Amino acid sequence: MQILRALALASSAMLVSITAFAQGTISNLPREETIIIENPEGTVKNPGWFNYWAVNAGGRSTGLQQLAMDTFWYIDPDHGIDGVWDNSLAAEKPIYNDDFTEMTVKLRPGIYWSDGVEFTADDVIYTIETHLNTDGLYWSAPVQINVESVTAPDPHTVVFKLKKPNSRFHTLFTVRWNAMWMMPKHVFEQAGDPHQFDFNPPVSLGPYTLHSFDPNGKWYIWAKRDDWDRTTVARFGEPGPKYAAYIDPGPPDKRVIAQLNHELDIIHDVAPEGMFTLARESDSSHGWFAGFPYAHPDPTLPALIFNTQHEVFQNPDVRWALALLIDIRAVSMASYRGAATISAIGIPPTGTHPQYYHEPLEQWLTEFEIDTGKRKIKPYDPTIGAQIAEMLRPSMGDAIPSDPKEVARRFGRGWWKADPEAAAELLEKAGFTQQGDAWYTPDGKPFKIRITVEGEARPVMTRAGSMIAQLWRQFGIDATIDVAEGTLVTRRNSGDFETIMSWSVETWGGHPDLSFFLDSWHSQFIADPGKPQPPRNWQRWSHPELDAIIEEIRTIDFDDPRGIELGHEYVKLVTREMPTIPLMSYNVFTVTDDTYWTGYPTADNPYTNPVPNWANTKYMFTKLRPHKMAQK
Amino acid sequence: MSSYGAYVGKRLGQFLLVIFIGINIAFFVTHMTPIDPVEQSISAATSFGSTSPEAIEMLRQSLRELYGLEGTLWDQYLDFWRRVLVADFGPSLSAFPTPVSFLIWNALPWTVGLLLVSTLIAWVLGNLLGGLAGYYRDSRLLRLAGVIAMAFHPIPYYIVAFVLLILFGYVWPVLPITGGYQMNMARGFNPEFALSILKHAILPALSLVLVGVGGWFMGMRALVSNIVTEDYVTYAEYGGVDRNRILTSYVMRNALAPQVTGLAMSLGAIFNGAIITEQVFGYPGIGTLLVDAVHAGDYSLVLGVTTVSILAVSVAVLLIDLLYPLIDPRVRIA
Amino acid sequence: MLAILRDLLRYNREFAAGAALMAFVLIVSGLSFFSPYSPQDIYLAPPDVPPSWAYPLGTTSRGQDMLWQLSFAIRNTLLFGFTVAIISRILSLIIGLLSGYLGGTVDRVLMSLNDTFIVIPLFPILVLFYFVMRDNMSWALLALVMACLGWAYDARLIRSITMSLRTREFTESGIFSGMTTRQIVTQEHLPYVLPIMFSTTMNNINWSIGLEVTLSVLGFTNINTPTIGVMIYWANQHTALVAGIWWWIFFPVALVVITFIGLFLLAVSMNEYIDPRSRLSRMGGAPS
Repeated sequence: MQILRALALASSAMLVSITAFAQGTISNLPREETIIIENPEGTVKNPGWFNYWAVNAGGRSTGLQQLAMDTFWYIDPDHGIDGVWDNSLAAEKPIYNDDFTEMTVKLRPGIYWSDGVEFTADDVIYTIETHLNTDGLYWSAPVQINVESVTAPDPHTVVFKLKKPNSRFHTLFTVRWNAMWMMPKHVFEQAGDPHQFDFNPPVSLGPYTLHSFDPNGKWYIWAKRDDWDRTTVARFGEPGPKYAAYIDPGPPDKRVIAQLNHELDIIHDVAPEGMFTLARESDSSHGWFAGFPYAHPDPTLPALIFNTQHEVFQNPDVRWALALLIDIRAVSMASYRGAATISAIGIPPTGTHPQYYHEPLEQWLTEFEIDTGKRKIKPYDPTIGAQIAEMLRPSMGDAIPSDPKEVARRFGRGWWKADPEAAAELLEKAGFTQQGDAWYTPDGKPFKIRITVEGEARPVMTRAGSMIAQLWRQFGIDATIDVAEGTLVTRRNSGDFETIMSWSVETWGGHPDLSFFLDSWHSQFIADPGKPQPPRNWQRWSHPELDAIIEEIRTIDFDDPRGIELGHEYVKLVTREMPTIPLMSYNVFTVTDDTYWTGYPTADNPYTNPVPNWANTKYMFTKLRPHKMAQK
Repeated sequence: MSSYGAYVGKRLGQFLLVIFIGINIAFFVTHMTPIDPVEQSISAATSFGSTSPEAIEMLRQSLRELYGLEGTLWDQYLDFWRRVLVADFGPSLSAFPTPVSFLIWNALPWTVGLLLVSTLIAWVLGNLLGGLAGYYRDSRLLRLAGVIAMAFHPIPYYIVAFVLLILFGYVWPVLPITGGYQMNMARGFNPEFALSILKHAILPALSLVLVGVGGWFMGMRALVSNIVTEDYVTYAEYGGVDRNRILTSYVMRNALAPQVTGLAMSLGAIFNGAIITEQVFGYPGIGTLLVDAVHAGDYSLVLGVTTVSILAVSVAVLLIDLLYPLIDPRVRIA
Repeated sequence: MLAILRDLLRYNREFAAGAALMAFVLIVSGLSFFSPYSPQDIYLAPPDVPPSWAYPLGTTSRGQDMLWQLSFAIRNTLLFGFTVAIISRILSLIIGLLSGYLGGTVDRVLMSLNDTFIVIPLFPILVLFYFVMRDNMSWALLALVMACLGWAYDARLIRSITMSLRTREFTESGIFSGMTTRQIVTQEHLPYVLPIMFSTTMNNINWSIGLEVTLSVLGFTNINTPTIGVMIYWANQHTALVAGIWWWIFFPVALVVITFIGLFLLAVSMNEYIDPRSRLSRMGGAPS
């Protein structure tokens, strides 16, 4: 007994004394001058590796690409500080010759690396030549395929000669999340094999340098350069935070707790419920939208993707029938708890796309007709976005806007009306039969569908997939989800799935050009069944009209308005054929806390994307100001 | 004593055999993974950009050569054994060319430190309480302690960990909830660093101890309840020997042997890592390394971690077997 | 048999308590046969309703009635735990007894086999197994695999006990009086081994449920069928703890704890019963 009592006394004494030594979040750094940001990469396996150009598991969004790397151009996923296009290391837009076989880049003068060496065309030449001569680097392949030679007529001009005409060669150096970064020649030429060099500590071209990092990969701290005015962001002002810490905050519940404790300023993503909790409990936490749905819609379009190489999905009527069985309101509630922006067309409803695509095509969609075999119907219902808003109004109250334009912006416009009758007719037209409650394929086999989902790594998509499977099941199709967890990428790429919840449409966001994803949908790139499919045509679908559209886009300039017209044609084609069922935008619940910092981008002030692992967020730093000062 | 020597010899032979078989099994199972590390690396490199399909094919080829994945399974097998004998597990496939041993060495001390301490505390506490509860059948206090220990034991560890986190990290925020030590603190042999480590280890260790005590408690209690009815115990009680002395010198000493077996094996199992602890508390260690590696299809790393684990547990089991006859004189070597 | 049960219930409070708790758990799992909802369907009830008259245990964020979900979950979890425990007990008992008593080469071979199983880290094998099996991974298969991986630890324990029993006097006297190995093992050794067996069974059920929960929480099992682990998985996905939906976590955990304590009380009281001396002392027969 004495032993127990002694033990109890000792442990409580120890606990009390330890808790008495209260320690702050960061040792030796002023909290009011530091911004703490979540890095969704989690704990970095190989933390001391900063060589971005080698394909390695060192961290990339640890602040490395956001604060230390730079390249020619940035396209903003939203509206940009001063327009969507920013000339960063370049002084002007790319200059092509008439047949797109040559690109000239004029470099911005007065930019210096963090160790005092000036950035010049020599660095560009070195970067390109290293990639030409070394296989297996991050960008070796695109450089080797496209670049014939590269020369520098003067220290601030670079001329690329291309192996074949490529009107979109400049996209290699245009940042949409990341792009080909420039290497410091003076460091790498002494380093030997670029595959073996860890670039630790990194030499920055951006406004911050590495201050310290955790050898176990949990945090990285960057400090503002004293000569920040010799970097490309200087045009927009001095970056606010003196220090930036990128950390691994753990599971979603923990991120919410960390922000409630004001120990995490920017959460990258959290479950919808976590967002609602923060909105409820904390006055200083804000999402992209001031109210529902709070989340930032990334320029990515989650959809139910069919593997069109499977015989059962080759008939567009079957695909349409399955689409008409989906009640998008239920899917939105199940996945995002209603905090979703729906889209019926194959373009994400984000950035500037609504004004170029969704609005102009609304009329066409409303009049769009399909033939079910027994009658003609107009499946589009333009009020569905508003219906979701109404469904949420009783429980969410003021957080739901009333202005129809706002509703359209936040919740999306219309979608296909759920119509099981029409779906049945379409299936029968395709030769399917119904016996009792179950449906059978034209060969007489039971109609079975598996929806592959990612599982815990992407909970919202998993929930959406579960809901869709349930809706199909209720109709009489044997549908269930198949959790792929870590194997999703392998299975998606190799076509080892029947249907999958993923995205094959990703765009620039701020710019209407679709080539970012559309080019890879050309039939020349479709892999045989079982072989790996290069991104992004996961549905392995081809159509001669699509090829014609893609080929024409390749020949015109990036900013040519004909590009938007071709985009409209693409939308009409995939609406008719439905190779994937577009659902909603990829909403990222990025939550910012303004206890220490203000000036974050929001829907009312969309000067950039706040989602912290995007390299585009470097622009955000120039607008952040300490809260106490901002109050003055 | 020579029979003991012969026993040691045979046991060592068995030890080596088991390690050999174990590592072989690990090799073949890890190579059975359907996840292709090259595809994973490519995906990581291309999922955010818009790389043309021919570029991807080129990258795939280069990476295959770079990673040394050309060659049959047999070649890779021989190569593996050649390297393992000099303690070199080769480069990690998802963090090429960083060596696997470097990654493991980085993460291991945290796992060993935390789990060693927690396991020992849980063992000592559990056995103590279990012994007391098994002997003093009538004590209300001990019964209560027993019920509490056992009530915690089946609660899924994730819940215990998370509730502790919420209690001490949010409701009454006195303890840190992330990391092995405070951010940005200089590492080194100074008291500040040590204190930080201690503070950050309290919650993870507490959660492990709470859940682990119950198991030892039950085992010890069962063993003691067996011994308590032995004649020599009854005799000692009638002989007027102090009850506490009976408990420690007569009862628990005899009950301890199987528990020591259990302890040794638990200590060996430390090298599996505590994955959920690491996830919930953001504690560094090899658990996350392992899960990460499995997801990335990085079989070199999985194999490395697995081999370390196999070695550790084998050594633990070997030690028990060699020491057991020395502890318990009733066991004679056949 | 019935007389024994009646005695136990009357004289042994622990047995009565344990039986009551287990009966409660079994009733809850039995409710699953009367559930108006299919266990896999979601959004059939308003989500996030706290415990109330209409929904006695509340509803989850997925719009499922907690009461019916829980009944399915505990049924599946119990089935799983018992299956693993029974299969692995049989394995460990056979191997432990044989190895401990026979010794020699048999012992060496079995222990090498045993050690190999102990030594292989469980988790990567299970995860890899899951990746390879994927769609075909059923609960039965997982139970079988876990049983095959879970006998090793306890077999060693049984062997060490058997080894020390083998050299005890009553064993020698048993041999001298002409009992066969089988008789010695079943009549003399088993009563010593069984109490340990019960506690290891408890441990094993706990371990298998714990491992199932770990795998489910990380998403490596079939998350379509509700079990306790899968319920926690979904609660996790919806950040229930932080969002304040405490009933989604509390009730499954409470039920698991009740199950465990019930099983434990049963095991402990049966141990006492099997050992004649403690049985007598409880019934007030022998000197205490």
